[in-house]
Amino acid sequence: MSDTILTGELRARIGETRVYVAPEPIGKAAFRYFALAIGDHNPLYTDDHFAREHGYDGVIAPPTLVCETNQYANLPKESTGYAGHGWDLEVPRTRLLRGGNEYTFHQAVRPEDILTVTWRIDDMVERTSSKGTPMVIVTSIAEYTNQLGELLVTNVETLICQSRGIAS
Amino acid sequence: MTSLIAGTPVPPLDRRIDITDMVAYAGATWDWHRLHYDMDYIRSTGFVAPIVDGQMLGALMAQCIQDWVGPDARLTKLGFRFLTPVEAGSAVRCDGVTVSVESGVLQCDLTVHILDSEGEVVGTAASGHAEVKLS
Repeated sequence: MSDTILTGELRARIGETRVYVAPEPIGKAAFRYFALAIGDHNPLYTDDHFAREHGYDGVIAPPTLVCETNQYANLPKESTGYAGHGWDLEVPRTRLLRGGNEYTFHQAVRPEDILTVTWRIDDMVERTSSKGTPMVIVTSIAEYTNQLGELLVTNVETLICQSRGIAS
Repeated sequence: MTSLIAGTPVPPLDRRIDITDMVAYAGATWDWHRLHYDMDYIRSTGFVAPIVDGQMLGALMAQCIQDWVGPDARLTKLGFRFLTPVEAGSAVRCDGVTVSVESGVLQCDLTVHILDSEGEVVGTAASGHAEVKLS
């Protein structure tokens, strides 16, 4: 039998929120740079005229960009080099893995959008892995809004605190 | 796109992800995590090669779908689960299959496969699904 790793201390963090507000509009260059980096040459992201012909007011962000960029976070760089949102969850004898994401795109992101991102710990549950070791599944929800309060994207993220040790 | 029915395949999109692509992606997303480029750090975590940021595969899925449905259709949902870490230099392929088309809304399943040097599928990096509002 292994001990529970989902302690009361951890459970108490369900409902915790973090809010990040970007200091400036996200900008066209961010769209073009992201599109270049992923090798996506869709002109929706770089050509205002093309985007207008297809029902937008001008270029839009590649859909997954705002869920991924740390450009609004304004957080210090950790020893890993990472400088984005995290929960600093201390689950003994586990390592943190990203399980997956569920994005809902409510409205296209435009260059003039100034992002506000609100993260919330929605739930934590303990499960047993296929190897018989305990793990904690953390579900977080991020909502991305613009300066007009319009909801742009919802991101439900699953993190897995997977046991490093031996189940005993 | 008028002949879309359940079972219609999503055309494959192949991509090789080199370390330079990963560095470009890290820069574009302000994500400087050492796991994506720093071999000393990578070895200390038990991996033998830089690991592709999983969200690059999410971006690949979005591209695969949007290229297929065209610029008038709107991607409304995209979900994915990571199954196998992808190492720098790997070739991957995103493809999928239509699950349903009802009232102008398309649902499809997506898979990102890992390919060997011959282009044969040797693993699954991620599986996902998408919803598209057709024009």
